[in-house]
Amino acid sequence: MADGGRQQRVLIVEDEDNIAIALDYLMTREGYDHERIATGTGAVEKIRDSKPDLVLLDVMLPGVSGYEICQNVRSDAGLSGVKILMMTARGSAMEQRKGLALGADGFIAKPFDLKELREEVRRILEGRAAS
Amino acid sequence: MSLSRLSLRIRVFLFFAALAAGNIIAVIAGLLFGYERMGDPSMRDAMIIGGTVASFAILGSLAGVWFLFDEHVAKPIERLAGFLRTRTHSEIDGEIEKDLARYLGDLAPAAQALTSRLNATRQALTEAVQRETSRLADEKERLEALLCDVPVGVLLCTADHQLAFYNGQAVDLLGSAHAPGLDRRVFDYLHQPPIAHAYERLLQTEDPDAASDLLCATLADGKVLAARMRLLSEGEDRHLVKRPGYVLTLRDVSNDMRSHAQRELLMDELFDRIRRPAAALQSLTGVLTADDGPVGPARDKVRDAASLEARQLAGAIHTLFERHEQNRADWWPLAMIRASDLAEAVTARVEADGGQIICDPAPLMLRCEGFEMVALLGNLVARLKGREAVRLEISEDGAGAMIALDWTGPMVPIADLETWLDEPLDVGLDDVTGRRVLVSHASELWPEQLPDGRARLCLPLREARRETSRPAPVPRAVVYDFDLLGKAREAEFAQRPLEDLTYVVFDTETTGLLPTEGDEIVQIAAVRIVNGRRVHSEVFDTLVNPGRSIPAASTAVHGISDAMVTGAPDIADVGRRFHKFVEGAVLIAHNAPFDMEFLRRKEKLIGQNFENPVLDTVLLSAVVFGQSESHSLDSLTHRLGITIPEEARHTAIGDTVATADAFLKLLPALKAKGLTTFGEVVTEVRKHSRLIRDLNA
Repeated sequence: MADGGRQQRVLIVEDEDNIAIALDYLMTREGYDHERIATGTGAVEKIRDSKPDLVLLDVMLPGVSGYEICQNVRSDAGLSGVKILMMTARGSAMEQRKGLALGADGFIAKPFDLKELREEVRRILEGRAAS
Repeated sequence: MSLSRLSLRIRVFLFFAALAAGNIIAVIAGLLFGYERMGDPSMRDAMIIGGTVASFAILGSLAGVWFLFDEHVAKPIERLAGFLRTRTHSEIDGEIEKDLARYLGDLAPAAQALTSRLNATRQALTEAVQRETSRLADEKERLEALLCDVPVGVLLCTADHQLAFYNGQAVDLLGSAHAPGLDRRVFDYLHQPPIAHAYERLLQTEDPDAASDLLCATLADGKVLAARMRLLSEGEDRHLVKRPGYVLTLRDVSNDMRSHAQRELLMDELFDRIRRPAAALQSLTGVLTADDGPVGPARDKVRDAASLEARQLAGAIHTLFERHEQNRADWWPLAMIRASDLAEAVTARVEADGGQIICDPAPLMLRCEGFEMVALLGNLVARLKGREAVRLEISEDGAGAMIALDWTGPMVPIADLETWLDEPLDVGLDDVTGRRVLVSHASELWPEQLPDGRARLCLPLREARRETSRPAPVPRAVVYDFDLLGKAREAEFAQRPLEDLTYVVFDTETTGLLPTEGDEIVQIAAVRIVNGRRVHSEVFDTLVNPGRSIPAASTAVHGISDAMVTGAPDIADVGRRFHKFVEGAVLIAHNAPFDMEFLRRKEKLIGQNFENPVLDTVLLSAVVFGQSESHSLDSLTHRLGITIPEEARHTAIGDTVATADAFLKLLPALKAKGLTTFGEVVTEVRKHSRLIRDLNA
């Protein structure tokens, strides 16, 4: 999807290949410029390099946890424009509070419906508050 | 019947009667002899008249002497004997009444001197014993305090399953409308089979150290208790008769069982709700991916079905996970603790480690495991060493609370925090880590940067409530009588020693004196006497709604008004509870026929019969002090040196306690008269049935 003529960029940080396939399909269909990395290690560096508009960030990652990546991104003033949507297989209310407290812009629990994810991505990229 | 069984006064009377009869016979014999020797028939009438006059004169003079002897010698001797007996066998002080034995010469002063000397000796002995017993009492008190604080219910039972000990926690656990009582069967409170079975099993093991774990349920409310039974060994049970008693420790596991059942239910539902859509999805994807799979509208149909199943599967997972989250904290036994207490404990721990912390707890009650939470917070503070102005703040957070540790300086990297949480806490157990504490509280921990250059760690608790005023500590008494362990129960009731019986002393207050005219009970009070000791904690005291108005004249006597009984239970309810309270006990009342008449008239309504043996302190007083004395409760208690506080007089409980204390003082006097068994007392009491009806006939 374009934003003022520029194609918006999404980085998918997800270690589960099948979920990544679905996310890849959705991002392509929605017209986002996207790429995927399958581990938390090096994710922050990748974000620094590519400065995506949105990171679809899994919480449970090998190496470095999604929470740690989120905290590091938020503590880097140069990445303040990067939005983060956290995805977790657990999705408890406490986890959600933790994710949002660490600076995530949204939180979605797996398994999720692709329509639901699409709406959440649009909401965050458009800067709308969660309903 | 042997003459020695008759009372002194009867024997004196018989002596004078025999004397009169002998004199009259002697006069008649003398006259007959004179008449024969004279041989003059005309003297016959004169002889008869003379004989009759002499006989009446003898009869009259001896009757007069007998009356004076009875009044001034026999009666005072009987009363003096009662006086001596009670002062010898019961600890009663007090002088002999002046006029009691003024015609007995020096006997009364001698008796007074004897009892004074006896009292002085007893006093000296008592003081010596007291010194030693006070030391033992201190130790006993410390042990009792220790037992009061044991956080499990403890019962000690005899081989016949009668209670010989219980603590306050056991009272809470057994939770019956009928509080536990000494010498009651444990099966009045707990289901019999598991306990009886465990007892027999332990007996068969012949291992004195064996213990048996069992689950049992309370009769009152079906609470499930985990119990451990251990037999008393010979050393602990010095009264050991044939079979040993046992100790039963009880813990309420109803919540654990409920949580376990909930978890099982959730697991079952989880599998049920996942298996079906998973199976459907597998089949549908198989169809979709088949080389010769459907095309066109048939393919759309299969795809829609797969999509629906996937949605249902996801929905089921979310719903079940939410339920799991809601219940998760309930699966750990967490108590409500004061935020201020938690903060104090953290401060103490931090200061013991040489650190410092400022605490700001809101007035909240927190649902958490205090020990583990203090260990986690203490550990975190220790990890924050070097950071400035570390504070612990506990504040309200929705339905729960937020525990926050904040400091001046940068935020803690979450990677460090995750490492800290994986390390064991200093609680003496390797597997207790910070993460496990979080899991058991269904919580999370995270760092936050605050705008004023401070940072904090946040730990939310799911459940908290505002603090209410600290309740007054509940008295946690232990109640026991270890002598019950050695009590032999095989004997027939009539042959059982008086001190082996359990008694319930009771009194009723009524609307009037005539149950036949519609008078009703307005109050019942009772106390239990077990093993010759009043059990202070086992009291029955309740008002009764009589279902009619209370006359002002009655209110003036006992102080109970219509307003006081308006909300009280009726006699059917109170009677049923009272029947349970008196089960297996001998009933004692002062003027028992009065109280029993009121109770027995209500047996049909109550649905139970009061068939207990009955003793009456009026009759027992007559046995000890003789019939000629006054046997009112005031006179009896006065004679026995018992004081009834004025405010308690004519209240059911006041009179009941006075009657019970009087009975306990009469017991040794009865034994001194050779009346040691219940049967002997009842036989003796029946001789005084002229005074009052014996209810055991």
